[in-house]
Amino acid sequence: METTVIPKSSAVFKTLVRADMATLFSNRRSVVISLLVPLIILVSWKPLVKVMGGPFALSTAIGIGLMSIGLMGYTLSVARDRDKGIFQRLRVAPVPTWAIMSSRLFIQLVMIMILTLLVFIVGYQYDKITLSTEGYLLTFAVAVIGGAVYLSLGQLIVGLIKTAETINAVTRLTYFLFIMVGMFGEMGTLGPQVKEGVHWSPYGSVKLMLAASMEPAKWNHDTTITVWVCLGYIIVFAGIGIKNFKWNSK
Amino acid sequence: MAVDQDKYILKVDGLGVTYGDFVAVKDVGFNVLQGEIFGLLGPNGAGKTSTLSAIEGLLKFKQGTIIVDGQDVQQKPLYAKASMGVQLQSTSFQPELNVVQILQLFSGIYGVPKSKDEIKDILKEIKLEDAGQKKFGQLSGGQQQRVSLVIATIHNPKLVLLDEPTTGLDPQSRRQLWERIEAIKAKGHAVLLTTHSMEEAEAVCDRIAIIDHGKVIAIDTPEALVDKHRDDPEVVAVSRRGKITLEDVFIGLTGTAVRD
Repeated sequence: METTVIPKSSAVFKTLVRADMATLFSNRRSVVISLLVPLIILVSWKPLVKVMGGPFALSTAIGIGLMSIGLMGYTLSVARDRDKGIFQRLRVAPVPTWAIMSSRLFIQLVMIMILTLLVFIVGYQYDKITLSTEGYLLTFAVAVIGGAVYLSLGQLIVGLIKTAETINAVTRLTYFLFIMVGMFGEMGTLGPQVKEGVHWSPYGSVKLMLAASMEPAKWNHDTTITVWVCLGYIIVFAGIGIKNFKWNSK
Repeated sequence: MAVDQDKYILKVDGLGVTYGDFVAVKDVGFNVLQGEIFGLLGPNGAGKTSTLSAIEGLLKFKQGTIIVDGQDVQQKPLYAKASMGVQLQSTSFQPELNVVQILQLFSGIYGVPKSKDEIKDILKEIKLEDAGQKKFGQLSGGQQQRVSLVIATIHNPKLVLLDEPTTGLDPQSRRQLWERIEAIKAKGHAVLLTTHSMEEAEAVCDRIAIIDHGKVIAIDTPEALVDKHRDDPEVVAVSRRGKITLEDVFIGLTGTAVRD
């Protein structure tokens, strides 16, 4: 019999990423829906672009896309795989647990990049929205932070709730609430208190941060505070979510 | 390969597992030798799964030690996991992946990446050459078990853990799986399996341990256990046709009450 060899972490990570990528692209329908919703918003909001400005439309589209990726993509897939025992099968192999989760987060990062790029392309083609080079680059970086807010919120949900069905319901409800209350709330339709609440909510903070990153010249103290708020959300949500996370739903 | 009496691959010593105030496993100890098929038997809730989970590294324990191939599973978990191959009770793989992709995934994470041709050969060996592009869920129960077993041994591990491997299989598939388990043993691997089937324990296990209420209550070869307990009043009382079987000994030792 051969001597026992512990596989290299980098090789294990690469293998996991390849499998997670294959899984992602096998679910083409959910990938397309995640990307299509923000693009439909962007296209249907064409009349609003002149009134509210290009950054408003782009940041709304990217913000909603990030929410789909974090809540629908990451959270639901983690809940399903935990429920089906897929994580347990991986955990009995010589795979560091960080590699299992990092591979999944890496896939979501790729999705965030694709989403941001598509929104920029459609925004330019359809609404003729252009940004400065710094604006494009900063938005990519800020989209990662915004994505991390929703991914950590997803981690919080899978950390606190064990059953896949309940997670499914809670996630969809959160998604729906963020979109409805967030979109109408930030316009002031639901009153000044809701508007203020939405401003500091994960939805409002991510959106404000994204909008500001598209016009770096207008970046101010308020924007910097919003970035800190987002980082705070990430630390708290991810901290609680990771601490309470169970690999097995039984 | 004959059982090597001097070389144990797995040594469980004084294992204790608790869930809050509930003691699931108490002072469990046994060894599995190189080239041996060792069966872990017990009624539902006896502590088999907790013992197995502790060996697999799925749960942390505070009492006792588990040594796999000379390494402590809690101190060197990656080494211990690399030394063993595992077939879980309900094996689950990503439903989107096909059989070839699953084999590529697991050969990669065990550090023995396989080319497409090598995977084709593996599938041919387990008579699944046409199933490479099928999803795991599209395979029959017997085919799924064959794939799971080949994954458990893909890295040529020293210890193979099989959790109720033949549950739900028809007699033909079960016999075929027994032959595969014996072939694993013939290659020099040590095998630890759990089962509810006394027929299976008698047919394939060199030694068995009966575990109940979290404790090992008997360890020996199936034949020796029958010989040792054939005159116990509890065993004779549950015997159905006069001839004492391993099942009679098992029920005699663990009681007739149905466990949930």
